[in-house]
Amino acid sequence: MKKNRFWFIPMIILMLPINVANASANANVPYHTYNYGYWDDIYYTPAAYVPSGNISGSKLEIGAFNSPQDIFVGKDGRVYVADTGNNRIVVLDSEMKLERIIEKFDNEGKEDTFNTPSGLCVTEKNEIYIADTNNLRVVALNEDGSLRKIISNPQSEVLPADFVFSPLKITVDYADRAYVIAKNMFKGIMAFDENASFTGFTGTINVTISTYEKIWRRFSTKAQRERQVQFIPTEFTGVDISPDGFVYATNIDGEGKQSIRRLNPKGQDVIKKGKVPLSGDLTWRLAGDYSGASRIVDIVYRGSGIYSVIDKTRGRIFTYDHEGNLLYIFGGIGSQEGTFRNPVAIEEKGEEILVLDAYRGEILRFLPTQYGKLINEAIALRYDGNEASAVKLWEKVLELDANFEPAYDGIGKSYLAAGKNKKAMEYLKLGMDREYYSIAYKRYRDDILKDNLSYILTGITLLAVGLAIRSVIKKRKGKGVGEDE
Amino acid sequence: MSKKEKIRYPFYVISHPFDGFYEIRHREKGSVWLALFFIFLFGLSFSLNRRYAGFVVNMVNPRDVDSRAEILGIFLVVLLFAAANWSITCLMEGEGRFKDILTIIGYSMLPMILMFVPTTILSWFIAADEEGIYYLLLGLSIIYFAILLLIGIMVIHNFGFGKTLITLVLTFVALLLIIFIILLLFSLVNQVILFLQSVYTELIMRA
Repeated sequence: MKKNRFWFIPMIILMLPINVANASANANVPYHTYNYGYWDDIYYTPAAYVPSGNISGSKLEIGAFNSPQDIFVGKDGRVYVADTGNNRIVVLDSEMKLERIIEKFDNEGKEDTFNTPSGLCVTEKNEIYIADTNNLRVVALNEDGSLRKIISNPQSEVLPADFVFSPLKITVDYADRAYVIAKNMFKGIMAFDENASFTGFTGTINVTISTYEKIWRRFSTKAQRERQVQFIPTEFTGVDISPDGFVYATNIDGEGKQSIRRLNPKGQDVIKKGKVPLSGDLTWRLAGDYSGASRIVDIVYRGSGIYSVIDKTRGRIFTYDHEGNLLYIFGGIGSQEGTFRNPVAIEEKGEEILVLDAYRGEILRFLPTQYGKLINEAIALRYDGNEASAVKLWEKVLELDANFEPAYDGIGKSYLAAGKNKKAMEYLKLGMDREYYSIAYKRYRDDILKDNLSYILTGITLLAVGLAIRSVIKKRKGKGVGEDE
Repeated sequence: MSKKEKIRYPFYVISHPFDGFYEIRHREKGSVWLALFFIFLFGLSFSLNRRYAGFVVNMVNPRDVDSRAEILGIFLVVLLFAAANWSITCLMEGEGRFKDILTIIGYSMLPMILMFVPTTILSWFIAADEEGIYYLLLGLSIIYFAILLLIGIMVIHNFGFGKTLITLVLTFVALLLIIFIILLLFSLVNQVILFLQSVYTELIMRA
């Protein structure tokens, strides 16, 4: 008893500095950072990103942004904002200071302007593609502001005769192919080649009708059927592109099944799904404030297979790795600094995350904490196949958040590669990875069998010999008894 | 029959179901207490399997395992089934008494009791592609239980195979009816209580 009484004191002393560090990191954060465990339960983690100020039109002294809809960070760190309500494009330099404002451009000798530009994308050559929504066209400008090309009025048999092309969001790949999300176009993302001609749809979302609905429709009359809800595929809400030309697209899924797609050049969805559905929150309130499934409105591909999406319903930013694991969830709706009212777009600038809020007309900036940085770096190392050097980072992550399953998984896999099967089993079990646990266990079992094969064989032989001798003795005795009688 | 024989008898029953169950009904060789004990043991081994099955095959959240609730649940299901079966077979000239039905259910569970615990231990030593044998062993014991139960009901009521199947279907219907009536009773009693409560409040407010 005496021995046990003060066991906790060294532990408290050990824990103190960590707790203090966490508290100071969390003190000014107006939202929770959390994640989902293997059994779908929410657990709170240290903050992965903390707010680090905001940028608004009035701060830049160019008048407040009016319902801005899109933001883009160029390769050189320049930030482009589609200031939709003011019909202008605001360009900030890499220090987030005002560089220039694009309000008009020269269209074959005439001065032309924008009408509610709600999406934009900048290529590696600094050409700006602007989805000029109410002018029903996409305008591509060179770096100096001169017109490069205009995409408008696409012609094709697959488009309905009365189709009006009003582009909302756009992304452009390395070969100048443009992928456009257009209003009321349910067939998919519209793809255009470098000559601005329409080449087809990519990433069509198929409508799924359940058996129950089919039966129900069969039994209803024509008049009833007309009044029932139409089964329309959902529209895409945001796009981004990875350097290797894969389009990352988001859509709103009311059932919370899949809101994120990764489209290959053929237009097929090739995203890798993990244990969680790629659709934001796993659980939500059914009615009342902030109820319903997450409405994912924009995505940013952040390199090394990591991508972040933003949820309009609860203002949360979900970050996934290339295997579909949730890395961290943060952000929230509110009126405090660092929370959103109507988030519409997300981008990454260096290690910062930028979120555009249309209601507030602000760009909100978030900086990673040590926790967030460690996860990002470890995932990047793993993505490059460098599992062994990721282990040190994973161990640091576990010091901050002992529930982080991908970290256990990562450590376990590298132990497995190093041939330390027993250790690997321990960590893979904590990481809830049955597949790799099995592999580790099999190797461990084989080793034990191999090491003890001689003993086992000796044992079996001895047993067999023993049994044989016993049966012989019994027979003899039986005979002996028989002879005696 | 001595105590020792009574305890040994279930092992005879699972290897010779027809004779075994017949003697339970007609020569008083069964024991209701033993049967209840088996049901309890099955509940326990079921819970143990859920909680302690090896990592590779265990898909149950350990926080969801509640042995007390599971054992009570199994008792409830068994009692409901026995009551439903008894009420149906009574009407269909079945010869089995309520205690016979309980006894055969309990005794039929013996293969599952014998199988679940060793299989759970076996599951600690298997890897991903060897799950088959684990599920096979569990499945076999469950199928054995079902066959024993079927034979048991057939023998104690002195039914043919077809009639047994019909009574089983009817038993299921009776089971639903019983549940329905219990729920109805609960809600009616609840209404009465609410009514009395409101009368009481009225009186208090008046005074």
